[in-house]
Amino acid sequence: MSKLDEAFEVKPPEVLELREQFATPDQQRQTAMVGIWIFLITEVLLFGALFTAFTVYRLSDPQGFDLGSKDMDTVLGSVNTAVLICSSFTMALSVYFAELGKRKSLALFLILTMLIGTAFLAIKFTEYHSHWVDHKVPGLWFEDHSPHAAKIEMFFVFYFIMTGLHALHMTIGLGVLTVLLFRTAIGSITAEYHTPIEVGGLYWHFIDIVWIYLYAIFYIPGIHLK
Amino acid sequence: MKEPVVSIRTYTITWLALLILALATTLLGFLNLGPFSMGIAILIATAKAALVVAFFMHGRYESKLIHVIIAAGVIWFLIMISNTLGDYITRGRLPVPGK
Repeated sequence: MSKLDEAFEVKPPEVLELREQFATPDQQRQTAMVGIWIFLITEVLLFGALFTAFTVYRLSDPQGFDLGSKDMDTVLGSVNTAVLICSSFTMALSVYFAELGKRKSLALFLILTMLIGTAFLAIKFTEYHSHWVDHKVPGLWFEDHSPHAAKIEMFFVFYFIMTGLHALHMTIGLGVLTVLLFRTAIGSITAEYHTPIEVGGLYWHFIDIVWIYLYAIFYIPGIHLK
Repeated sequence: MKEPVVSIRTYTITWLALLILALATTLLGFLNLGPFSMGIAILIATAKAALVVAFFMHGRYESKLIHVIIAAGVIWFLIMISNTLGDYITRGRLPVPGK
């Protein structure tokens, strides 16, 4: 067996349940949980820095940022928030069925989560397209004649960077779910060993939390100006 | 076989609560609350985030170690934002020695 084959070799659940460096399966699970939570905390700081920068710029001209928020599509944004909350719900149910060891239900809910996640991205890119059509893409094609034009452009810089980074996380999340679905299909997820589903789920829920905040800062402040 | 950590009932209630809070955020946006509108939106978002962490992410049922890690993340973020804003908000208001 070549090195590459070895790396991709799928080990049976009995082997995965307790790897040699751990004393008990519970210790192995705890280790994985600490790992993913620490990773998520680094993500909090990654997005946190952007939220901090956004707040600093917004404080310099709140009115300008509210005018930028006025150009957001409230309907698409709100629908997307609901869509993402639903995908978190189906992901939570995936974990539920993984804990029970019900492989078919687990696979079904993983597929549902992926479909809803894809719908989110489709709606997001519809929005990006409408910004392009409205000439609201900073640097490439931006037109605005209000006295706050410079700040509105800055608003859109943050909008594209932050929602773009979020969309990138969603895409990676879909990749993670694909791997989990594959592992479910070949039977390496059982009631005794389903840590990968839990870990993937935590990542997916985290992306949901980021969007909850993005929705609050980008879409809400401008609604009353419409 | 072990029982799942969180019941479907709890998941469903969390899901509905999240949808209701999202709707509340949108509806509050239509009221002109001036400088408070952003603060209230962030407050509701934090309530939603807490629900997701506690129930969807099983935060409530995890060990103390995980609780410490979550708290560390929140605290470090608060340090970052409060120190940065402490600088920016007070610029031009406080005298700078030697300037």
